[in-house]
Amino acid sequence: MSEPLLSVRDLKTQFFTEDGTVRAVDGISFDVHEGEIVGLVGESGAGKSVATSSILRLVDSPGEIVGGEIEFKGETIFGLEADDDGELRPRDEMLTENEMRKRIRGREIAIIFQDPMESLNPVFTVGGQLREFIEINRDLDPDEAKEEAIDMLREVGIPAPESRYDEYPHQFSGGMRQRVLIAMALACQPDLIIADEPTTALDVTVEGEILEMVTELQEKYDTSFIWVTHDMSVVAEICDRVNVMYLGEIIEQAEVDDLFYDTKHPYTSALLDSMPRPDRTVDELRPIEGVMPEAIDPPAGCRFHSRCPEAREVCREVHPEPRDLSEEGEPRHAAACVKHDAFDVGYDESPPIDTRAGGGFSAGLTETGGEAE
Amino acid sequence: MSEVGPPESDPEALLQVRDLCKHFDNESGLLAGVELDDEFPYVSRSTSDVRAVDGVSFDIKQGETLGLVGESGCGKSTLARTVLRLLEPTSGSVYFQGQDLASMSGEPLRRMRKDMQMIFQDPQSSLDPRMKVGPIVEEPMKAHGMLDEEGREARAKELLEKVGLDPQHYNRYPHAFSGGQRQRVNLARALSVNPDFIVCDEPVSALDVSIQAQVLNTMEELQDEFDLTYLFIAHDLSVIRHISDRVAVMYLGEIVELADKEELFENPKHPYTRALLDAIPVPDPRSGGRKALLSGDVPSPIDPPSGCRFRTRCPSVIQPDEYDMTDEAWRNVVEFQRAVERRAFEETDPDALRDRYFDDATPGGDAGTLLDEAFGHIERDEWDAAEQLLVERFADQSVCATANPAYEVGSELGDDRHYAACHLRRDEAVAAAVDGTAFDDAARSRPEADD
Repeated sequence: MSEPLLSVRDLKTQFFTEDGTVRAVDGISFDVHEGEIVGLVGESGAGKSVATSSILRLVDSPGEIVGGEIEFKGETIFGLEADDDGELRPRDEMLTENEMRKRIRGREIAIIFQDPMESLNPVFTVGGQLREFIEINRDLDPDEAKEEAIDMLREVGIPAPESRYDEYPHQFSGGMRQRVLIAMALACQPDLIIADEPTTALDVTVEGEILEMVTELQEKYDTSFIWVTHDMSVVAEICDRVNVMYLGEIIEQAEVDDLFYDTKHPYTSALLDSMPRPDRTVDELRPIEGVMPEAIDPPAGCRFHSRCPEAREVCREVHPEPRDLSEEGEPRHAAACVKHDAFDVGYDESPPIDTRAGGGFSAGLTETGGEAE
Repeated sequence: MSEVGPPESDPEALLQVRDLCKHFDNESGLLAGVELDDEFPYVSRSTSDVRAVDGVSFDIKQGETLGLVGESGCGKSTLARTVLRLLEPTSGSVYFQGQDLASMSGEPLRRMRKDMQMIFQDPQSSLDPRMKVGPIVEEPMKAHGMLDEEGREARAKELLEKVGLDPQHYNRYPHAFSGGQRQRVNLARALSVNPDFIVCDEPVSALDVSIQAQVLNTMEELQDEFDLTYLFIAHDLSVIRHISDRVAVMYLGEIVELADKEELFENPKHPYTRALLDAIPVPDPRSGGRKALLSGDVPSPIDPPSGCRFRTRCPSVIQPDEYDMTDEAWRNVVEFQRAVERRAFEETDPDALRDRYFDDATPGGDAGTLLDEAFGHIERDEWDAAEQLLVERFADQSVCATANPAYEVGSELGDDRHYAACHLRRDEAVAAAVDGTAFDDAARSRPEADD
């Protein structure tokens, strides 16, 4: 396979809080190749958004990227090396903050956020904001930039773009605002767009339109996407390859069809089983027991063992790294679960853990309200 | 209890809503709606209402779950609040256990509230962060003077256990709970006064899928145990399919279709329902993605389209009687008219437009002449004139624009009624009405034969 566009290796981002260190992203590795849509799936609190902000080096204090490497088109977005005293310091070839701001963000890697109202300034017109963005990032003069902005609005399906150009964000519906952000992201023809739950707040009908539009535009401009979502249906529809995250780690990595039809990690199967289906009536849903533990103090061993229906004693002790379990010649399908023979840690002989026994009511309890957002 | 139900009263129905309307003033204040004119009397006053809920009727039977689904802004939450009389209805009535809530007020209404509770979407903002969960659950009982202090505490603990929390969490604050657990506290609070009817306004849409499933399962268990009746609002059709017995689909303040769950999902009769169902993503990469999608935005409820409100986005608008086009030609005309309305293209050359919109079928006769006229307007850059011509002569002539549809059609799955507000169903509805009377006669001749 060709050289990946973006490659993330063993990325670790931590937040240093008064209560301790939150290991929001704990050693994830994945690649994005040219022209593909890569999904990043997980429940809230899995570390999806922190992972994407780390790629753009947008993590603020008390958060910090503490390890790993991010390479984009042969340039180092993040990388550390040990100096003579053994202290870690940024490598020389790592892009400076200035280069990141001027060259990478917006121009090479654009990002679309979940809430379009928070990304648009309510006191400036939609067209003005789009024009300014194009003017600065593409060095066009204001008139050319305006023309380009109107073209982009038409491209993303805004009706009557000439007259809507002068309207304010509040005059647009939620779906339209998201279209404006997509226009903004596409305006500089970046190589990679990070879409952080862009359709979560929208109705299914609007979501459908937007996903369809993204697929068309992606073919036209050959842009790569990292699509962050918690919705398996969106993944099924749009992604080429998928990374499933749980508690700061990637626990399964596969092509989309393999993920759904040859699921290798119990968390992924549990996630798929817990969804109500639109195409058939399900009598009883099978929810995942309990809630996701805190990233401040993750369970020892496999992080999912406390909720896993297939957990055995060995899962408490062994912490599995994702391993490629695919057959020779097949696309990579990695999973981090010791039940597979490739891990060979004695899963079959190990006695099962009864995940419900110790838990009772408190199994579902978090001290600080984990998933509040 | 004075039995003053609606005319065709169904003895099984717990709640009967008849022609319920809720309009909001678009502007308020002294100068609301005042406009200045050029001629006498110089000042005119017009009020424009937002017609959030407009003539909605349905029944909910004891012990069932009615799912209410629709896009955001269609009036689902306003309907829920109006049904509970949290909002004053503009007109219409709501009969709860035979009494009209719309005409009640003061103390009798307050006492009725004991039997009707509500669960809100956001589990965070619907719990007072400065109260412990125990007192939160006890508060409705206090308001309705139920039990003494010890009794209330005992009941609160019992309810916390029922909804799947530890009774020892009685003294914790809401922030110590996760989203799913907070929604369980909400459930316990709603159950505390032993209601018959609970309105659930998007209770699980703020939760993660795995947690969503836990809460939905708990809600079903509680329904069985306490014989509850739910009005369950959601925009997620998968959730609706899982939990409902019957489903009502709402569009722009009106119910467009109401039927048994299986019937509605397997045999939808309204183009809007069909479009909504087609738009749901299926968690399966081999499903081939979504089918034909709706275009355009929901029109404003201030000035909704005449006739069928869905006609401005409907993929199967009916051709006006005065023209005689093929179906393909008519569909092309509709598509072209909507494109002009949205100013979706810049092209002004008639031949190019013809190629683009009327490639496979061109209407002839009167319709063809009108189209030529529209092309002429576009060529001269008179977009408004073109739009007006197309809308007045085509879109507004359709039966969809001139008459308000409301039909009762035969059900194929299940034996409940199937209501669909679409003119395409007129013939079926007539047939079903004939069948229906025959069935009624047959049923009357052998009373209580079933069961």
